[in-house]
Amino acid sequence: MEYKKTVGIEVHCELKTKEKIFSPSISNYGSIANTNANVIDMAYPGTLPLLNKEVLSFAIKACHVLNLNITKDMHFDRKNYFYPDNPKNFQITQNETPIGTEGYVEIEIDGIKKKIEILEMHIEEDTCKSVHSDKYSLLDYNRAGVPLIEIVTKPCLNSGEEAVKYLEKLRELLLYAGVSDCKIEEGSMRCDTNVSISKTNKLGTKIEVKNIGSISNVGEAINYEAKRQEELLEKGEVLKEETRRFDDKTKTTILMRVKETGNDYRYFPEPDIPFVHLTDAFIEEAINDLKRMPDERRKDYEKAGVLPINIEKIIANKEISDYLENFLDTNLVIASNLLLGDIQSYLNKNSKTINETKLTNKKFHDLVNKLDKKEINNKIFKDILIDIMETDQDIDDILKDKGLNISFDENLLNDIIANVINNNQKIIDDYQNGNPRSAKALMGLIMKEGKGKIDPAMANQKLMEKLNNL
Amino acid sequence: MSKYLSLSLQEIHELLKNKKITPKDLVMECFDNIEKSNLNAFINVYKDYALSEASKLEELEVDDDLLFGIPIAIKDNIMVKDMKCTCASKMLDNFVSIYDAGCIDEIKRHHMIIVGKTNMDEFAMGSTSETSYYGAPHNPWNYDKVSGGSSGGSAVAVSSGIIPLALGSDTGGSVRQPSSFTGIVGMKPTYGRVSRYGLVAFASSLDQVGVMSRNVYENALLLKAISKEDKRDLTSFETNDDITCLINKPLTNFKVAIPKYFISDIVDKEIRDKILEIKTMLETNHVTVDFVDIKYIDKTAILYQIIAMGEASSNLARFDGIKYGYSYLNPKDLEDLYKKTRRYGFGSEVKRRIMVGSYLLSGENAKIYYNKALQIRDDLSKEFQKVFDNYNLIIGPTTARCAYNLNTNLDDPLKSFMDDILVMHANMGGFPSLSMPVGFNSEHLPIGLQIIGNRMDEKTIYQLASFIEKEIKDDFSEVRNGI
Repeated sequence: MEYKKTVGIEVHCELKTKEKIFSPSISNYGSIANTNANVIDMAYPGTLPLLNKEVLSFAIKACHVLNLNITKDMHFDRKNYFYPDNPKNFQITQNETPIGTEGYVEIEIDGIKKKIEILEMHIEEDTCKSVHSDKYSLLDYNRAGVPLIEIVTKPCLNSGEEAVKYLEKLRELLLYAGVSDCKIEEGSMRCDTNVSISKTNKLGTKIEVKNIGSISNVGEAINYEAKRQEELLEKGEVLKEETRRFDDKTKTTILMRVKETGNDYRYFPEPDIPFVHLTDAFIEEAINDLKRMPDERRKDYEKAGVLPINIEKIIANKEISDYLENFLDTNLVIASNLLLGDIQSYLNKNSKTINETKLTNKKFHDLVNKLDKKEINNKIFKDILIDIMETDQDIDDILKDKGLNISFDENLLNDIIANVINNNQKIIDDYQNGNPRSAKALMGLIMKEGKGKIDPAMANQKLMEKLNNL
Repeated sequence: MSKYLSLSLQEIHELLKNKKITPKDLVMECFDNIEKSNLNAFINVYKDYALSEASKLEELEVDDDLLFGIPIAIKDNIMVKDMKCTCASKMLDNFVSIYDAGCIDEIKRHHMIIVGKTNMDEFAMGSTSETSYYGAPHNPWNYDKVSGGSSGGSAVAVSSGIIPLALGSDTGGSVRQPSSFTGIVGMKPTYGRVSRYGLVAFASSLDQVGVMSRNVYENALLLKAISKEDKRDLTSFETNDDITCLINKPLTNFKVAIPKYFISDIVDKEIRDKILEIKTMLETNHVTVDFVDIKYIDKTAILYQIIAMGEASSNLARFDGIKYGYSYLNPKDLEDLYKKTRRYGFGSEVKRRIMVGSYLLSGENAKIYYNKALQIRDDLSKEFQKVFDNYNLIIGPTTARCAYNLNTNLDDPLKSFMDDILVMHANMGGFPSLSMPVGFNSEHLPIGLQIIGNRMDEKTIYQLASFIEKEIKDDFSEVRNGI
């Protein structure tokens, strides 16, 4: 009989509110150490916590996208433990009344759907960031008091693969809810997992693996840990509850500490923050502020005929997907190709975001429609890309100024083709003798003469018609 | 040296307004008093600062604010920018505040002059001020007696005439009990009336800044000045009511309740008799005075200790030698730093309460003790509310005994708690409560009357207190300026 893996996952995500949760200090990543810290963050005697309403609003949004029930009457609790990164030596968190309970995230593996059940989600404050050297440990209080949500699944996952899918989906949902950057490398998303194996319905000894540096590593850590536990059990050893960490280099887990008889955090209700009642109006306002979630967007893209690979590329780039939300009435295939292709290259090359360019919604709208109606072609678009991105002119004016506004002058095209055919009898002869390359040579001449003012597809079509009728 | 500070605030104000004196004269007199005093009322004084503030005021027009230019003393657990804030602990012996407490903002806005920080029990834990790292203050009525605590230094500073006004803090009687022991007026306002921002937390759900003064009117004036909703304290509330408006107004249809527990045999007979005397006096003046039973009133001390020590164990966790304050030098490791810093930085009473508090919150204990205490606390508040449905106020003694000899309680922490068994109900329910002197015992030590009101109803307390103050013939000013 095989061992069955049972996995639970805890995820901490930093909420990207402007200010910290309990103080008016700026909450952001990457500032000079200890510049975003005030007396509250540093746990000065006499200071009291504030409560940032934006955190509540963000947490409500997260609850909504994770299908969690929202706890309308909730409060904060103190979790007491001593550690230098914990300035007050207690952390303000939610123990008794987590803001969200009983939700799920749906994943799909090989066409089979599974609901990963979420036990609860609560709000808490982040600790200082510590940096250790041989002689000293340094503390950065910028991170102290940054709002976090902790999302705890039930022990309902059964493989590393499920864990990876769950985390990818969770990340996507929180990203699209606009509540977190979910950047594991910057620490704004942190994953811990509990792994146990058992041959029976009774769960085995739970072993925790902490601080795993990427989503794919969570999968590897779970699979490695299950295998390690199986080998030990097969040898007849008894497992003890312990905390391990994943080593990225060796792809193994390493013992951090054996768990002693239950940590005693001496939880009690935070007396400095009055109990919170979330009104229906407040909840509604937060939820109404949500943009459309990825699955809904996927459906639209699919319906419009966007290739599956491109759909995932768009979803993976929230900025592009958000941008596309303004152009759902246009040809999404063209629009997405532009955004994933030349516009993205331009932005990357110039280290800009769309908002930092002169590309207005109207310009993009015109652009997509002109391409859609074949009023311009891709070549012309490439020629005017920089003007689109860097001037205030609208598309028509750009085309006019560049003399590119005549692309569908069929007479011109006919004249050019006739001209080329008349002046290149030798190539025509070759063609008629069956040299396939001569048609290409003629096209080259036509395009050269048309100087990008003609549509290659149409030119090709007309040329072939002419040649075949000679 | 002139004796302006013994005048009433109205009289001082007239002199200031008519330019007969300047704030500097008041500050000079105050420091003269401090220098002559041997009562150990202050931990740190700031003469240069006070004189320079006084000079600044000379350039301002004296407005109609009676508090303009008046010197004030601040308990040393309230943050005043650029002044030390020791909490009477070795842990914070060298700690200088970098910000002003919410109530200090108001003090400064009213152009009062802070002269120094007063002695107290370490981290406000005690009822005699003897747990101070700097030694106990002495009671001006008898040098060998305790001042009460924890706001003992503030009580001594006002009662001995060093200064007319002081701020204290009251978690379980720490303003009212020393006020009673030293014969002054002390008020613990409704929880939330005064910002706790900048008050070093002892037990967050019970702590409240309180005011100490020589008489009822000046007490109300000072409280009115520092009452303000503070966005930095989520438990503070908006206050627009004029709490002085009923002072000296007649007591019509006035009903007062005396809980039977307050005059049971836990209280010294001399004190009981004095309260009954007050009862008779009130009845003579057509006030209805009834004895009432209040459920849980005799259980409050236990509940109070559970809540206060539980919260304290968490609030004092931040003193760890890492960020500020005392830090043990050359520890072996982190664990050693924590242990030695707290072993040598805290005094024994503070450590005892942290240990008991930690135990009370540990594991299942939190449910058995702390959570249950919170529940019964709600019930207790409701019992008091019921009384306020039928009576304007509740009265009784402030303390069960008068000031006693120094060094009596040091070996017995439970005895010290007995000092507060009549005053902690107000903290538990968030009710305003005032202590005022109403007589003396046979040792010529002051006896305090406690008046408890419904939440936000300080004005009715001041109404009754101002009435009783006029009726009492004893003189409580005799130790003032007898420095």
